[in-house]
Amino acid sequence: MAWVNRILQGLRALFHAKRIEQELDDELRAFVDASVNAKLDAGMRRQDAVRAARLELGSEASVKDAVRDAGWESWVGDFWRDIAYARRSLTRSPGFTAVAVLTLAIGTGATTAIFSVVSGVLLKPLPYPNSSRIVRLFMNAPASESPSKRPLRASLGLTAAEINEVRTRVRTLSHVGTSTGILRSLRGHEEAARLQGSRVSASAFEMIDAQPMLGRVFNADDELVGAEPVMILSHAAWLRFFQGDRDVIGSVTTTDSVLGQRVESRYTVIGVMPQGFAYPEPSTQFWVPFAMSAPGAPPLRGPLVGRLADGVSVEAATAELSSALRGIRPEARETQYELALEHLELVAPVRPALWVLMSAVGCVLLIACVNVANLLLARSAARDREMAVRVALGAGRGRLVRQVLTESMMLSLLGGVVGVALAFGGVRILKQLATTISRIDLSPTAFPRIESIAIDLWTLVFAIVCTAATGVLFGLAPALVHSRVDPVRGLRGPSVGAGRSRIWRPSVRQCLVVSEVALAMMLLVGGGLLIRSFLKLSMIDPGYNAENVLTFQVSLPSSRYTNLEMRAFAETMVQRLRSSPGVEAAAYGNQLPMVNLSDTAGGLWTSPDPQRPPTPVGPDARIVSRDYLRVFGIPVVAGRGFNDGDGEGQRRVLLVNQTLVNKDFAGESPIGRAVFIGRDIVPWEIVGIVADVRQFGLDHEPTPQFFVDMRQWGVGGTFFPIGAYYAVRTNADPRTLLATARNTVANLDKEAALFNVAPMEDLIANTIARPRMYTALLGSFAAAGLLLALVGIYGVIAYTVTQRTREIGIRMSLGARGGNVTSLVLRQSFPLMIIGVSIGLVGAAMMSRFLETLLFGVKPLDAATFGTMALMFIWVAGLASYVPARRAAKVDPLVALRCD
Amino acid sequence: MTGSQKPSDLVQGTLEMLILRVLALEPMHGYGIGVRLEQISRGTFCVNAGSLFPAFRRLERDGLVRAEWQTTENGRRAKYYSLTAQGKAKLKRTTQDWERQTAAISRILQSSLGEL
Repeated sequence: MAWVNRILQGLRALFHAKRIEQELDDELRAFVDASVNAKLDAGMRRQDAVRAARLELGSEASVKDAVRDAGWESWVGDFWRDIAYARRSLTRSPGFTAVAVLTLAIGTGATTAIFSVVSGVLLKPLPYPNSSRIVRLFMNAPASESPSKRPLRASLGLTAAEINEVRTRVRTLSHVGTSTGILRSLRGHEEAARLQGSRVSASAFEMIDAQPMLGRVFNADDELVGAEPVMILSHAAWLRFFQGDRDVIGSVTTTDSVLGQRVESRYTVIGVMPQGFAYPEPSTQFWVPFAMSAPGAPPLRGPLVGRLADGVSVEAATAELSSALRGIRPEARETQYELALEHLELVAPVRPALWVLMSAVGCVLLIACVNVANLLLARSAARDREMAVRVALGAGRGRLVRQVLTESMMLSLLGGVVGVALAFGGVRILKQLATTISRIDLSPTAFPRIESIAIDLWTLVFAIVCTAATGVLFGLAPALVHSRVDPVRGLRGPSVGAGRSRIWRPSVRQCLVVSEVALAMMLLVGGGLLIRSFLKLSMIDPGYNAENVLTFQVSLPSSRYTNLEMRAFAETMVQRLRSSPGVEAAAYGNQLPMVNLSDTAGGLWTSPDPQRPPTPVGPDARIVSRDYLRVFGIPVVAGRGFNDGDGEGQRRVLLVNQTLVNKDFAGESPIGRAVFIGRDIVPWEIVGIVADVRQFGLDHEPTPQFFVDMRQWGVGGTFFPIGAYYAVRTNADPRTLLATARNTVANLDKEAALFNVAPMEDLIANTIARPRMYTALLGSFAAAGLLLALVGIYGVIAYTVTQRTREIGIRMSLGARGGNVTSLVLRQSFPLMIIGVSIGLVGAAMMSRFLETLLFGVKPLDAATFGTMALMFIWVAGLASYVPARRAAKVDPLVALRCD
Repeated sequence: MTGSQKPSDLVQGTLEMLILRVLALEPMHGYGIGVRLEQISRGTFCVNAGSLFPAFRRLERDGLVRAEWQTTENGRRAKYYSLTAQGKAKLKRTTQDWERQTAAISRILQSSLGEL
C-alpha cells in the first residue's frame, strides 16, 4: 500500500507545510555546515570553505524546489500559484483577454448549442423502455404494385385483424401494434375545440410501458367489434377541458369528426395519462383504441409498429414478418418488407444535416483555438525575457509548460463559461428556427424530437470536456515555445532576437494561419452553397401572389349542416368578407396551395363511364369559388376564368392548368373540348387555361390541375372532405383582417369558429423551414469562421510589422518608399493566404458531397460558389493584412531605429 | 566533490539503491551520504544536493528510510537517515536484480561477434 502511504504523507505535508519547510531549511543548513567543516578539516581557509560549500550546493531555491517536487502535493501549491499568476497576467492585458475569451466563447457556445441538438435528437434514447428495439414496418413497392404507379417506400397500412394475425404468427416481435392519427372536436366546449388524437393498439401502449395517471389503459377487449368506445385523455387535455377533475373517469364525452362525413361519437373516459407522456407525438391529446371494424364497414388501417423480441436481430424479424405478410397480402408479390428501427427512422430526415452542422461548428471551434494560440504566441514573444529570467532562476521546462498551460486553461474556462451562457441563448434561437406550423393538413416539416433539445447535464459535460480540450489545444503550442526559451539569448533582449533562433517560430504561426484560412475557406464554401441553394429555393415563383393573403378554415357545428347548406354558408361568408373594408377579394376552395392532401375527385377523362372504378391517381381537383384565381393572382393564359354566369344550372365549365395541357393534350389548346369527372356522365367544357402553381412545395414541380366552380359542383359525395379553406386578399397586413373574419363568422353562426388561421406567406415559409434553419446556421458559422480568420490574419501581420519595425526603419532611411514597405509586408502574407485558400478549396471539394442532400438546384461542386467565395475571401483577407501593412509604411525611420 | 575526470551521470533510479547501500552500513546525515557515495565510487559518481535531497524525500515517503535529528560528532544537529526493515528488504531485492542484470549486460558487451 505504498500509494496510500504517499497520499497520506502528501496530505500531511500540505497541512504542515510550514514545519516541513523549516525542517528542509535546517537540513540544508546542516548540509552546508558539514560541508564547510569538512573543508576546514582539509585545511582550507574559512572564507574559501564557505564559498566552495555554497558553490557545491548550487541554488538553494532550486534544491528546495526539487525536494518539494518529489511529492505530489507540490502540484497543489504550484497550481494555486499558477492560477494567481495567470489571473495577474490576464488582467494586465485586458484587451488580449477580452478578444481571446470572446473568440473561445463563440467557439464553445456554438459547439455546445449544436451539440445540444445532436444529443437531444440523435443520441438520447426515446423515452420508452427498450426504445432502441422498437421497429416500424415499411414496404418497398415496385411501380406495378404501388397505388401511385411509381416505386414507393411507405409505411404499410394494416387493419386491426391483420395486425392481430401478425401478432399471433410472428414470434420474433414481442409486441405488435399500431397508432394512427385522428382528429375530433369536443362537443360542449365553447371554442369548438379540435383535438389531435391517436388510435392506438393496446399492445402499442404495452410496448412503451404506458402507465396511466388515473384509471386504466386499453386492453385487448377494447378492440373487439361492438366493445364500448373508450377514450384516454392526455394530462393537458384533462386540465384544459375537464379542469383536472378526477371524476372524469367513467363519464361519457361526445365528439364530432372533423374530416370527412360528420360523425358523432360518444366515448367513455377510462384514463388520464401523466404529464410528459408523448406518444406518438407531444401534440397528441387523446387516445382511442385501434378497434376492429364492424363487418361491412371500410376497415381502418394503421402502420405496424413493434418491438424485437429479446435476442432477435432486425434481419430475423424482417424475414419472419415478410413471410407472414406474404400470406396476408398474397397479391403484393414483388413488394419487399422492411423493418426500420424507430429511433433511427424518426430522425432520418435531419441526421445528415445535423452531422454537417456539428462538423461545421467543430471547424469554428478549431479556428477559435488556432486564433487564440496565435494570440498567445504573439504574446509569448513579448514574454521571452520573463521566461528567460525564470529559466535562469532554475525553473524547469515542465514547470514553465505547466504555468503557460494554466493560463490557457483559465482562458478556456472563461471562454467556456461565457460560451455556455451564449449556448443557452443559441438553443432558444435554434428551437425558434426549428419550430414550424404543426398542422395535419400541411406537409410534415416539423423538426423531429425538438422537445428533447435542451442544455442538460450531458451538454454541460460536453461543454466542459470541450473547454478543457480547447485549453490544451491552443495552449500547447505557446507552452512548448516557452519551454524552449534559451535563457542567455532571451536575457540579452530582443535586439538580437531577429536572428536565426526565431526563424522557426514564425513558421509555427504561419502554419496556424494557413490552417485557419483553410478551415474558414471550407466553412465559407459550405455556407455559400447552402445560401445559394436557399436563395434559389426561396426565389422560386410559386405561380401565385402570396403577399397580403389571409387563409383560414371555419369549423361548422357538424351535423346541422348539409352539403348544400355548407356551400351556402361559404358563399355568404365570402360575400360579406368582400364588402368588408380593406378586402380586395375573397374566395374559398376545397384546398389551398401548400395543403398536402390531394383530391382527384375521380379523375378527368375524355369519355364518360358510369362504372369507372375509383382511382387514386389523376390531376388535382380544385373546387373553388368564383374569385379564387383573383385572390391568388393566378393568371388565365388562354380562354377565360370563372364569372357570374357560371352559376348553378348553367353550362358546366372547367379550367385546366398549363401542365395538364402539356401532359394530356400534347400542348394543343383544349379550349372547347368536353371532359368528364369521375363517374359523372354530364360533360364539362374546358373554357380556359391557367398558369401553373406549385401546389405541394416550392421544390416540387407543378402537377396537373383542373378547376371547377363550386356553384356548379354536384351534390354527390362530400363537398369539403377536409373542410372549406378561405383565402382573403387585403390591401394591408393580412393579420389585421383576423378580427373582421372572426366577427363575420360569429354573425353567421354562433357555434362556428375560425381555425388554422395563417397568412399565405407563412404557409410558404413553413415549407422551407428546414432549409432555412440549416442555411441560417451554416451561414452564421461561415461568417463566424471568416471573422475569426480575419482577426487571425490581421494579428499575424500586425505582429510581423511590429517585429520588423527596425528593419523597416533601416529600409526607409535607405530610401525605400511607403509603397515598397507595404508590398514587402503583403508579399509575406499573400502566399500564406493562397496556400490556405487552396487547401480550403480542396477540403471543401472533398467535404461538399455531404451537403448534397441539403442542396436544391446547386451542385456540391458548384464552380461559381467555390470561385466567388475564394475571391471574396482573398479580397477581405487582403484587406485585413493591408491595414497593418499600411501602418508599416507610415513608420517614421527615426523612431523605428531608436525603438529598441 | 570534484574528481579529476568528469563525473558520470547516474543511471536513472540507481541513486536510491546506492543511498540504501550506504545506509546499510550505518545511519548517516545528508552530507555524509554524499561524501560516502563519492568515496566508494572513487570519484566516479558526484551527486549534487539537488538530486540527493529529493531522493531522501522519496525514500522517506516510501517508508524505506527513517529520519531523525541527532547531534553530529562536531556537536551540531543534523538529520540522520537510517534503513527501515522495508528498506533492507528493498535493498536486498534491488541488489539481486541489479547483479543479475549487470551480469547479463556485461556478458553481452564482452561477447565476441561470433557469439552474437
